[in-house]
Amino acid sequence: MSEGTVLIIGAGPAGLEAARTAAQLGANVVLVEKRDRVGGTPDESNYAKLTHHFRDADEAIGELAEAATSHPHVQVLTNSQVVSVAGEAGDFRVGIQNGAGAKTVHAGAIIVATGFQHFDPGRETQYYNYYSFSDVITIADMEGMLKAHQVVRPSNGQPPERVAFIQCVGSRDRQIGNEYCSKVCCGIASKQAIEVKQQLPNSRVFIFYIDMRMYGYWENELYWPAQEQHHVNYVKGLVSEILAKDDRLLIRGEDTTMGRPMEVVMDLVVLSVGMEPSQGTRQVAEILGLEQNKYGYIQAGGPTHIDPVATSRPGIFVAGAAARPSDLDDTFATAGLAAARAVATLRQPVMA
Amino acid sequence: MDAGLDKVEGILEKEVAIVDGIDISGPWNRMFEQRVIWDYTPELIEKVASLPGAESFAWCYQCAKCVPVCPVDQVGDYGPRKLYRMAQTGVDLLNHDALWLCTTCRNCVRVCKKVVDMVKIMPAAREQAVLNGFVPEELQTAFENTAKYGNPLGQSQRKRAAWTKKSDVPVPIMKDVKRAEVLWYVGSYPSYHPRGIDASLAAARIFNALNVDFAILGREEKDDGDSQRLAGELGLFEMLAEHNIKVFEKYDWDLMVVTGPHEYNAFKKEYKERFGFDRPIQHYTQFLADRLDQLKPMLKHEIPLKVTFHDPCYLGRHHGEYDAPRALLQAIPGLELVEMGRCRENGYCCGGGGGGMWLDSFTINHTTMRLSERRVLEAVAYGADVLAVSCPFEVSRFEDAAKSTGNDQLKVLDILELLDMSMRGVGLAA
Repeated sequence: MSEGTVLIIGAGPAGLEAARTAAQLGANVVLVEKRDRVGGTPDESNYAKLTHHFRDADEAIGELAEAATSHPHVQVLTNSQVVSVAGEAGDFRVGIQNGAGAKTVHAGAIIVATGFQHFDPGRETQYYNYYSFSDVITIADMEGMLKAHQVVRPSNGQPPERVAFIQCVGSRDRQIGNEYCSKVCCGIASKQAIEVKQQLPNSRVFIFYIDMRMYGYWENELYWPAQEQHHVNYVKGLVSEILAKDDRLLIRGEDTTMGRPMEVVMDLVVLSVGMEPSQGTRQVAEILGLEQNKYGYIQAGGPTHIDPVATSRPGIFVAGAAARPSDLDDTFATAGLAAARAVATLRQPVMA
Repeated sequence: MDAGLDKVEGILEKEVAIVDGIDISGPWNRMFEQRVIWDYTPELIEKVASLPGAESFAWCYQCAKCVPVCPVDQVGDYGPRKLYRMAQTGVDLLNHDALWLCTTCRNCVRVCKKVVDMVKIMPAAREQAVLNGFVPEELQTAFENTAKYGNPLGQSQRKRAAWTKKSDVPVPIMKDVKRAEVLWYVGSYPSYHPRGIDASLAAARIFNALNVDFAILGREEKDDGDSQRLAGELGLFEMLAEHNIKVFEKYDWDLMVVTGPHEYNAFKKEYKERFGFDRPIQHYTQFLADRLDQLKPMLKHEIPLKVTFHDPCYLGRHHGEYDAPRALLQAIPGLELVEMGRCRENGYCCGGGGGGMWLDSFTINHTTMRLSERRVLEAVAYGADVLAVSCPFEVSRFEDAAKSTGNDQLKVLDILELLDMSMRGVGLAA
């Protein structure tokens, strides 16, 4: 029978939220984190601000981390990795390795919250010379610059006069196999465009897109203010290539609503890279024997196809971006649901 | 500008080229312009959007819903979303002919998801252009006439009530009677233009037949100035508004009835919002529709014709009145009302609004045909014998268009004229 413990793998926003909720529901929680600290990708990638009211990312994620880790029923194991799992729902025995050695944790349910990684635009050489041109960066790189209030051209350390975002880099792409929309990049690019204009009011900022996917409130919280109040230029038509021109960048594409070729000089080009399952997600899926979809995300849905936190293995649940491209709302919603399912499993084990 | 392009390095062959009103599109007479976009010019969007009232110009996200409903695009290559992109790709709208093509018909705002309001953007941008001295000559003439004579036709102010001499019924002047239940604001075209006067005489007969206690302002009345405002002359509008309001307040009356929808908009909305003039006002179609019980028995003579009705932009879309004109037409015995495809909310525009009345020679250089001609062709296509109107700008515009398109058989009549004909049984050609 259950020992009353939920084991959660990954201490990013999904894992932290799941830990907090499971603990509040009365379970003991063991939170396993590979890094030496909690916070996940927002922390690791130096996110500046969240799309939610432009909240400071450190502060908001810090509050979440504090709420989870300070709970008396939550035990955090950093520098630790899950290496094996045996048993079944209600009675898992999870092998954990860390610097000090190996140990086994007994848990009634497991939540996988191992998240995503940013698409690497160097993976395919045609991706805009990311590894050749220092002034071609990604939205992940931009977060760090915004956080430091140092938005500059890496080539010369000078603030850019003209900044272009290119959407859908590594997403919606049959060539590279990432056919899905990464869901957050339109909003993140618009958020960053606003921040660039705030930090460099005289700069010109452009966003080149296939179609802007500003679902829900992002439409009027990010997209409209970016255009209407911060004068960000949205141009329909993806940039095809970037050429070096003197010491600047010539972006070439088609301006599709004008039906005309476009060749415009930029100082800094930001690739709106999408999401991919993290290495940790792929590894943990292997170790736990979880089905993955064709993109490497943990297959969610369960037998009904509509359960966003069910995995192929009863008693093991998935939260956040380990299952699909997710924004923080998706992450929190699935984390809370996974916690509830996990606690329910402790109380009434599902024998599949 | 997409299909049928020859690829020539650096330039773009225009698929549609209209010069002096003649469509010269075709490989035998090529028009070229720069093909590649070398830079974007957001500062030219800001140049417009920073003008008070024109803020929404910068809000366009290019969904393009506005273009198919833009009456100018039907006869050319135009539309609000195109203006945005033009500004973003190097065109200074404050110094470009495209600034003068919009008739402020309001059909784009009706469908715009982001409420980009050309009805506010145009007067703001044009006011700036006028201040900079960039204004088409014929429009400038209309401005000067209005300033000098109180009407855009350049007719003598003292002769504003001269038309009443032709009336076979009394048309009292406020200066003489001091008090009347109804103040009838006649308007410039109904006072001076021969076809406008026809409608005024009809109105006078109808008011008398209904025993309406009415009076006009005569030579004290000046143009409402709203179309001049929309064409960029805010100062002139304010001058006229101050004059007219002073005259309105001089006399004792209960209800103002206006002949024209532009005057209706001027007094009901603009004079109210800008000067606090807040009195009961009706367009004549509303006034008469309210008295239909009394009017209907007088409509004794059949008008056995197919009649279609052109919704005036400033009565329909701007003020939501679609039913009163139709109620009057349907009260006429024998008359068959046929609706055109573009009617009511999506009614087409005659081209006269927003200063278009005084830009015909200018506009024709940028369109394949006049808006009025396009509308007349639609009326004919729907089998109408009569194109009925209720805006004084329209009678002359549509009559000219009927002639120029070879459709002389189409009669253009104000609803006032049709009612008068049915009352008296005279003037029926058919």
